[in-house]
Parts: sequence; structure tokens; C-alpha cells
Amino acid sequence: MKKYLTAYSIALQETLQRRWTLLMDRVGGFAVVLSLYSFWNVLLGDKATFLGYTRPEMLTYVLIINVLRSFVFTGRGWLLVGEISSGRVSSYLVRPLRYEGYALALDLAQKTVHVGSAFLEIGLLVLIVRGGVFVPRDPAAWALFALAAAMASLIFFFLEFAVSTLAFWTSESGGPLFCFELFLQFAAGAFFPLDVLPEGLRRLLSATPFPYMVYFPARVLLQKIPPQEAVRMLAGESAWLAAAAAVAAAAWNRGLLSYAAEGG
Amino acid sequence: MSGEIRRYARLWARTASMSMQAQLTYRLGSAGFLIGKVVRLVFFFAFVAAVFDHVQTVAGYTLLETALFFLTFNIVDMIAQVFFRGVYNARRTVNEGDFDFYLIQPCSPLLRMVCSSVDALDVITLFPVLAMTAVVLHRLPPLGFARGVLYAALTLNAVALVFAVHVAVAALTVRTQELENAIWIYRDVMFMGRFPVDVYAAPVRWALTFGVPIAVMTSFPAKAFLGLLSPAWIAYAFALSAAALAASLAYWRASVARYTSSSS
Repeated sequence: MKKYLTAYSIALQETLQRRWTLLMDRVGGFAVVLSLYSFWNVLLGDKATFLGYTRPEMLTYVLIINVLRSFVFTGRGWLLVGEISSGRVSSYLVRPLRYEGYALALDLAQKTVHVGSAFLEIGLLVLIVRGGVFVPRDPAAWALFALAAAMASLIFFFLEFAVSTLAFWTSESGGPLFCFELFLQFAAGAFFPLDVLPEGLRRLLSATPFPYMVYFPARVLLQKIPPQEAVRMLAGESAWLAAAAAVAAAAWNRGLLSYAAEGG
Repeated sequence: MSGEIRRYARLWARTASMSMQAQLTYRLGSAGFLIGKVVRLVFFFAFVAAVFDHVQTVAGYTLLETALFFLTFNIVDMIAQVFFRGVYNARRTVNEGDFDFYLIQPCSPLLRMVCSSVDALDVITLFPVLAMTAVVLHRLPPLGFARGVLYAALTLNAVALVFAVHVAVAALTVRTQELENAIWIYRDVMFMGRFPVDVYAAPVRWALTFGVPIAVMTSFPAKAFLGLLSPAWIAYAFALSAAALAASLAYWRASVARYTSSSS
């Protein structure tokens, strides 16, 4: 465990050291949130609710998107693709560590910094927007949200990890990874609440793990889901997490069997 | 002069052909990227269409008018991707010493760096977007030939402005050999151009018109077509592009003059 904590600590320092890269990443993310907020704000107009969301609820959804995008969708998939394709992954295979654990430690370091920044941006947005935000009073809502978000982050990590391992078999795995990440963000509700979609499409998406990544945690925080129902859905999310972890492990192990490297 | 243009057109066609052939060699990767781009386009369209199931107008614009804004954004963005893709590799070009070779070749190093790489997938996705724009323009009430010409002129003006941004980023890379994310921050901020600029609050609208002129790039052409842009704003758009082009080219020349080679 200590070696993974060391990896986490070093990665955290590295991320904080690259200040311009971090700042630019955050400015880009802030632009996305600002445009989504503005769009929803116009849609709400003088209406009391839109799609069942009051103005504070919708604003909170947009702000939560910012946090969840930073916490869930900050991954290392592209680096893994590069490491496998270039053979750099060999140097990890001979070290006394599990690559998945090492990657997760680095991933967590990146998430730590980005989530911290996301909260700062939220503070800024709350100051400049009108209408206020929805703050749940029930501590259970916060606890369920934290649990849902943590599992969402792990599901994304394992799914992205599994897709990235395609690099073991083909040098063209960047395309599928790009497609996967884009589809995932829309299907997860990272741009807009899935309530806006037609009923049929929403039902289809609910049969996948994607809505658990943003839409579900955000609705839990907004107390749009009764606690008992939320607990039942958390059980479903944990089943998806177990499945994603199993798929990632199987893909990694099979990939290693077909992996060959020359030189050093 | 015309001989020079022909020479550069031939050079661009050759390098573009080579880069497209290289891209199409990777079928799985290209298919993934292509599907990803289509998914992004379709999901945003579905989102906008779904929103109009619940409202009549957004910021005073009907579905067709909002679609025109969104399509104009896509046209400008995709043309930039098709013609100015080389900037995405600018840092690598400088750091690996390839820029030194550009400097000794008998052609403009700026065009070699900015325009010699073409994203074939954006060429493929550009055609349906152009077709959809034609359908939307046709279905809007007849607004006259002059409006159509103005729309085309302001769209080309927007492309010139985007070119100025890409030249500035290329110059920044030559000067600093860093800021690999500079072009990505532009991409993220461009996200705000997906919606009509009128959805934003006044200070943001001001910033998008005079600071980071995303509004001039994406909203002005559609507004001019709809007859919502005064002659003064039209003149401002052309003057801004001319000034931005002159400034970015001057910055490029200054950066190249200070360049002392960073590799090779």
C-alpha cells in the first residue's frame, strides 16, 4: 500500500507543478459549465420549473456536473494507450507493483487536484449567478452522493482501462477510446440532465452503467430520488462496478498474454 | 502572384493527400474517431431538438434558427479542423526539430506548420453539416439572396479569425516551446459558440464579442442571415478579423525571428 501512496504523492506534486496546464484545463472546463448554466438559465426564463427542476436545482445540477466531470472523467486512458503502444508499459511490468493499482493512484492524484479546483470554480459561479443553489439539508443525501460519485469514478476508471487495453492488440485503439469517452459523457448526463431525452432513449440508457456516472449522483444530491430507491440503485451501481472491474482485469490479463516487447 | 498561389495550392494538396492517406490507413482508429464525431453531432442535435419539445423559443430563437447557430458553429469549427489541423502538432514539430527543416524549405514555414495536416474525418463529417445547413436555410422564411451572401461572407470572415487564433498559437509555440494546451483551451472556450450568444449574460456576451470573439466566429453569420446584425457590427466583424490577422502574422514573424532552434 505504501508504494501506491508514494506514487499518489509524487503524481500529486507533478500535477501541481504543471500549473499552466492545470489552469488551462480548468478554464476550459469552466467555459463549458458557464455555457451550460447560461443555456439552462434562458430555458428557465420566468418559469418556476423546467423538466421538473427549479432554478436552484438546475443550477446545482450544472455545478455538480463540473465536480463530477472532474472527479469521474479525469482518466489515464490515453496515457495507457501510449504506454502499451510504445512499449513503455514493460518497465512497469518488471516492477514489484500491480499496474492497475499504480494507475489508480496516479488517477486519484489528478482527481484530487481537479476536484479541488472544481469546488473553487463552483464558489466563483455561486457568487456571480442569480437564483441561488440547492443545498440538501439531509446528511444522508450527502453520504449517498459521495458513495455514488466514488463508485461512478471507479466504474469509469475500469471501463476506460478496459477500452485502453485494446492497445495490446491494435495500434489503433485511440479511435475506439475517443468514441467511448464522447458517447459516455453524453449518455452519463454530463452535458444535460437525461430527463430532456425521449422516454424510450432514457429507458435504453438506464439499462447501461452510464447514467450512474453523473445523472444518478446528481439526482441523489438534489434529493430527486427517495432514499430507499437510492439505496436500491446504489446496489445496482455496485453490481456495474464489479462487472467493470472484472472486465478490466480480464482484458488486462488477456492483453498481457499477447504482449511482446523487444529492446529496452 | 497567381503562380505563387498555384504553387502553394499544389503543395497543400500534396501534403493534405499524404496526411489523409496516412489517416485512412488506420481503419479501426479512424472509424472510432469518425463515429465519435458523429455521436457528438447527433447527441447535440437530439438535445436541442428535445429541448424544443418543451419550449417554443430559446432566447427568442425558434428551433430552425437555433439549429442555424449550431450548424454555423460546426461549419467554422470543422473548416478549422480540416485546414489548420497542423497547429495541434506544433509543439512536437518544434521540439523534435522538424521546424528547422520547415525553415530551410522553399515555402512558407507558417503554412507548412498550420495547414499541412488535414483531418480527413472532418472532411467526411463536414458534408452532412453543409447539407443540413442548406436544408435549414431553405426551410427558414425567404430572407433574400443578399442575406445569403452576407452569411457566407461572415462565415469566411469567421474562418479567417479562427486562422488568426491558430497562427497566434503556432507563434506562441515557436517562441516558448511550451503551452501545449493553448490550442485546447481555444477548443474548450469554443464550446460556448454552440449556443447563440444571446443566451449569455451581458458581461459574458461582451467578453465573447470583444475579448475572446467567439460570438463573431459563430453567432454573427447566423444573426446577419436572420437580419439581426446592424451594418456597424458587420463592419466590426470584418475589421476585427483584419486586425487579428495582421497582429497574429506580426507575432509569428517576431517569433520566428527570435527562434534559435530547440532540437535537431
